Amino acid sequence: MLADLLKGNIHFANGMSTWEESIKVAAEPLLSKRFINESYVQDMIKNVEINGSYIVIAPGIAMPHAQNQGGVLKTGISFLKLENSVTYPEEKNVNILFVLAAEDSEGHLELISDLSSLLIDEDVMEQLKQSTDEEEVLNLIESLE
Amino acid sequence: MTNVANVPEYGQNGDKKPSIRAKIQAMGGFLTNMVLPNIGAFIAWGILTALFIPTGWIPNEQLEQIVGPAITYLLPLLLAYTGGRMIAGQRGAVMGAIGAIGLIVGSDIPMFLGAMIIGPLGGYVIKKFDKLIENRIAAGFEMIVNNFSIGILGFGLMIISYLFIGPVIQSLNEAMTSAIQALVATGFLPLLSIVNEPAKVLFLNNVIDQGIYYPLGLQETVEAGKSIFFTVASNPGPGLGLLLAFTLFGGKIARRTAPGAIVIHFLGGIHELYFPYVLMKPLTIIGMIAGGMSGIAVFSLFDAGLVAGPSPGSIFAYLALTPRGNFLGIISGVLVAAAVTFAVTSVILKLDKNKDEEADFSSSLAKSQSMKAEGKQLMNFSAESADTTNVSKISFACDAGAGSSALGATTFRKKLQKRGITDIEVKHYRIEDVPEHSDIIVVHKNLSDRARMAHDDKRIITIESYLNDPSLDELLDQLEQEKG
Repeated sequence: MLADLLKGNIHFANGMSTWEESIKVAAEPLLSKRFINESYVQDMIKNVEINGSYIVIAPGIAMPHAQNQGGVLKTGISFLKLENSVTYPEEKNVNILFVLAAEDSEGHLELISDLSSLLIDEDVMEQLKQSTDEEEVLNLIESLE
Repeated sequence: MTNVANVPEYGQNGDKKPSIRAKIQAMGGFLTNMVLPNIGAFIAWGILTALFIPTGWIPNEQLEQIVGPAITYLLPLLLAYTGGRMIAGQRGAVMGAIGAIGLIVGSDIPMFLGAMIIGPLGGYVIKKFDKLIENRIAAGFEMIVNNFSIGILGFGLMIISYLFIGPVIQSLNEAMTSAIQALVATGFLPLLSIVNEPAKVLFLNNVIDQGIYYPLGLQETVEAGKSIFFTVASNPGPGLGLLLAFTLFGGKIARRTAPGAIVIHFLGGIHELYFPYVLMKPLTIIGMIAGGMSGIAVFSLFDAGLVAGPSPGSIFAYLALTPRGNFLGIISGVLVAAAVTFAVTSVILKLDKNKDEEADFSSSLAKSQSMKAEGKQLMNFSAESADTTNVSKISFACDAGAGSSALGATTFRKKLQKRGITDIEVKHYRIEDVPEHSDIIVVHKNLSDRARMAHDDKRIITIESYLNDPSLDELLDQLEQEKG
């Protein structure tokens, strides 16, 4: 499920000047495929502004998301890996982003479950941090499913 | 009765057995929480009724049609819905409402008591079921199982409540009728209040008034031109006294809503407005009975009566139906009843408060606090300290209730499974939606203030990472030891 949803939504970049920009760039695939609209991108940024960096779910890994207030049209996820990390509030460095867009709080649990398996597997995470193209990332995720 | 079913979940370790006191207190809190959120609906109904019924202030045939369905369906359904939600969140709420409709249709009197039983019962059924199947649903089937479990269990509950609970309450009603007839036969009328007041609070006021007292009153009026029977259950005095007592000595929220209820009850004549307050603190029924009895005693003493059934039972209707020469008796009866109920209810509320909430005396402070804590714990079905025995539900919360908390809950669930712990429910919520029956709330430290504000009485674990946090590891270890 995770691999299917990520297909075509995986990007790599050198670095970002601000954390806001990293969220915008990471969300770009979902935006252009009309899974989300611009307001959801703003909601995600606002979420960090209000609540801080709790979306940095593990060292180096952020999962930008927000409550769906109409900005999410379809449940989806996108991936962005940065060569050089960007700093989030509270001095947290991030170089992997999973942008999560969930229509409601229940429908995407399988996706979350896959993501959780991925994130708690240290070997896989290590390889993910070394990955350089979409193929590699998808293979890694599929190896878990 | 409503939450007794949950008691066994608490404190299986001997030294923590809840006292009867704590049980009653938890039960009282439960009733309050079930009734209070719905007072607005009662007020809306009260205004509507006071205005538009045929004997109201501006009778209106069309709008009056809302009165019946609102009291038969809307108000009991709301109570059942709220009761179910307190036990098992949104799913419990739906079950409660489904069950309530069965008993509403199964009976022809307003089903308030029934709704307050069936609501929590419905919640309890679905809670048990969800726990039973938790972690056993194949991925992707959650939605269908969730919907059909409520569908099928609700279907059963609907039928059971239609067939069994409705008739039980009906027969209760019949028992009350014969009790009243027996009391009338004794000739000592103040005794009637012992049956009247509880019956009224269960929303049987119209049944007893129009079914029993008005016919008796009519008979007497034909001979004497007036009758005391019109006053025995419709005296607005006791309700006024009760609401005044709540206005001055009630809990925070009750204090704010009671004054509005006074207007609709005493001037508008809609007695139903004070019923919820008695249901919240059932002991106050003593004040109602005392007031009712004194009222009847004063009416008898003055040999006062009304010329017709005051409907609605407002002070204005009373005065309009008082025959010449009876004003002193009628007004004294109302006022004395109000004063007596006020005095008794105030004492009850103050005692209750001193014991439960704000003990003034330093000597009783510590004691009362432990009593309060015990009652609270029981009500949340949880332990407040670092105690992890009997943890059955852990809720992960975040701002959206969809992302980080879901990830945290899923990951934690997997870790629990790895350790062979399967009887703990781990779910994710938006902070404000975390259900009352959660034992532990896990939230990111940035959000902990908000979590405390919404759930100040819960054990809250704050973490820095939803995935991997020392506090979560510690919790895992603790849980493993307990369950191991």
